[in-house]
This record gives sequence, structure tokens and C-alpha cells, in this order.
Amino acid sequence: MSQRSALDKRRKRTLWTVIIAVVVLVVAAIVGFSVYNSQRSKPVATPKGTVSDGGTDSGLAVAGNGPVRVEVYLDFLCPACKSFETNANATLDQFVSQNRITLIWHTLGFLDSRSTTNYSTRSAAAAGCASDFGQLKAYGNALFASQPPEGSAGLSADQLIDLGGPAGLNSPAFAACVRDQKYKPWVGRITNDAARRGVNATPTLFINGKETTVNTVDDLKAAINAAG
Amino acid sequence: VSLARVRAWLGTLARLGLGSAFLAAGALKIGDLAASGRAVAAYHLMPYDVAAAVGAAQPFVEIALGALLVLGLATRFSAIIASLLIAAFLIGIGSAWARGLRIDCGCFSRGGDLTGDQRPRYISDILRDIALLLVASFLVAFPQTRFSIDEKLEAGTR
Repeated sequence: MSQRSALDKRRKRTLWTVIIAVVVLVVAAIVGFSVYNSQRSKPVATPKGTVSDGGTDSGLAVAGNGPVRVEVYLDFLCPACKSFETNANATLDQFVSQNRITLIWHTLGFLDSRSTTNYSTRSAAAAGCASDFGQLKAYGNALFASQPPEGSAGLSADQLIDLGGPAGLNSPAFAACVRDQKYKPWVGRITNDAARRGVNATPTLFINGKETTVNTVDDLKAAINAAG
Repeated sequence: VSLARVRAWLGTLARLGLGSAFLAAGALKIGDLAASGRAVAAYHLMPYDVAAAVGAAQPFVEIALGALLVLGLATRFSAIIASLLIAAFLIGIGSAWARGLRIDCGCFSRGGDLTGDQRPRYISDILRDIALLLVASFLVAFPQTRFSIDEKLEAGTR
């Protein structure tokens, strides 16, 4: 075989392997995008208590009907969310009882990779069930009180159902809603809505639609008072 | 032992190592494409909807590229693509760090969010990506390796 034709063959071979590699990579990207698109376009069941929150409509009414809209983005697995809840609860209750604020929660499934069972999404979906029965706040507080450590399996479906008992969530309908993870797709949607709004940490606080950082309860009071 | 033979064996290790890294990175993200998209969005480098699409495609591309490298098909081309991807990741992490964002790089996890009590690991992420970039560059320079489809094809047409 001549030197020349050997070189040609080699060039041809390289060209074809590169073409195959390009096709493989492009097809992979298209498959990924279409899988995501088909997951996204599914209609989603929404819990009762979903409120207009100035854009995403992904929040749940927790308490109050006052003029200042206080939105908390939280994850029931996130320790910082639990401490926010512990520290701010009494203050927020006070504003609610004075009819100053409308308290809204976005119960996200941000930290699914930090439990072995997607506890963030499961607990947030269970909170959606509690909202159906008008007991979101009591149930959310119970979820924080029983917060499992990161990296664990978290609470089982049975434990999530039992946790509703003290909040008056004893019905078979609530149990079925939790067990079937009825609001799992909804959690996926509102978690994406949060990212779309630029929320990439929990807890994140919005007061009247504006992201607000507070480090102390006094900061929180001041921020709410400043908003009206 | 000739230098070419040493290179071929080092290249084989590089190819398998780099390929496995891409396979692992893709496999860890493919189970939750929405989370992968949020991890890209957390860098705040593109509009959310673009980030969501990129994040969904990324694990599939990483697995395909990992497979090309492990099989040794179009090794030099695959290594060039790998270098470009790693360089893009480095720029992303570096810019997140420079802008003071507190995010998980989402390199070998779904990443994205950090809760209040967690610290980003930018330095170790960047060092790891630089190491991977060196491995990929070696393959770009010396793509002839053992146990590869390229090698089989070469033998077939010789």
C-alpha cells in the first residue's frame, strides 16, 4: 500500500470516528432535553391554600390576612430553616394576631440529595396535604420539631402521617394524601419556581415581594415595620 | 520500554480515569434533571429557562462523553470536548467564588443550594477540576492508547 493512500485512509477513519462522536453527544443532549420537557409539561395537582404571591403563585397561605406579605422559602430538612422557625415563630404569630402580615410558605424540595429517601420532597408534599385540611402551620411546626438529621432516611410515611395527629389531621384522606405523595409533582414545580425567582438557599425571606436578609428577630421586626 | 509505549499505557489510564469521572458525574445527576437545572441556575450565569435546559442535557452529555472515553472512540476529539467542558466548569466555579455566591458546585452531585450552616468548597472543587483538565490535556496531546476502539480501527486499516 502506498504511503499516500495509507494517510488518506487514516484521515477518513479519523473523520468518521469524530462524526460518530459528535452524533453521540448531540443525541445525548437532545434526549436529556426532551426527557426534561416531558417531565415539565405534566399538569400538577395544587394544594388548597395556594396564594397569589406576586408572580409564581407557588406559596401556601400559612396564617394572617394582613397587608404585609411575608414569604418564607424553606425546606423541612434544613437546620437553618428550623432555627429560623424557632426564633421567628413567636414574632410572626404576633404580627399575624395584630393582622399586620400575611404569612406565606414555599415548602421546597431543595435538599433531596441530603437524605436517602428524598425526605425534603416527601415532607413538603405532606405539608401540602396538611394545607388541604387547613392545618399547614401546626403541621409545619411539627415537622420542624421532629426534623431528622441530614444524610438520614428521614421520617417514614407512617411517621409523617402520625405527626398530623396532634394537629387534628386524623382523617384517612390525609393519610392517603401523604402515603400517595399526592403533591410530589407540585413540590417539584414550586422548587423550580423558587430557582426561577433566584432563590438558591433556604431559608430565604421575601417581604412584600422583595428579598430581605434578617439576622436577628429585631431585624425581622424592623423589616416588617418598615414595609407597613 | 519505549517512550511511546509508556505514553500509550499512561494514556490508557488517563482515558479510563477521565471517562469514569464523567460517567460518575452524569450518573449522580441523571435521576433528578430539575435539580440539575437548578444547580446550573444557581450560578446565575444564564436565564433560568436556559439553565434548566442546559442542566437537563448535561448529565446525558457527560455520560455519553464518559462512554466515548472509556471505549476509546475518537479519543483526541473526546478529550478536546472534555477539556472544553472542564474549562467551562472552572470558569463557572471561579466566577461564583469571585461574585461571592454561596453554592455547591453541583459537579458530582445535584448541588446548587447550600443551607445557612454549610460552606462552599471552591478550592477543592477547583483543584480537582484542574487535575482533570491536566489528564484531559495529556490525552489531547497523546491520544494513542491501548484497549481502545481507535487502536482496533488502526490495526484494521493498516
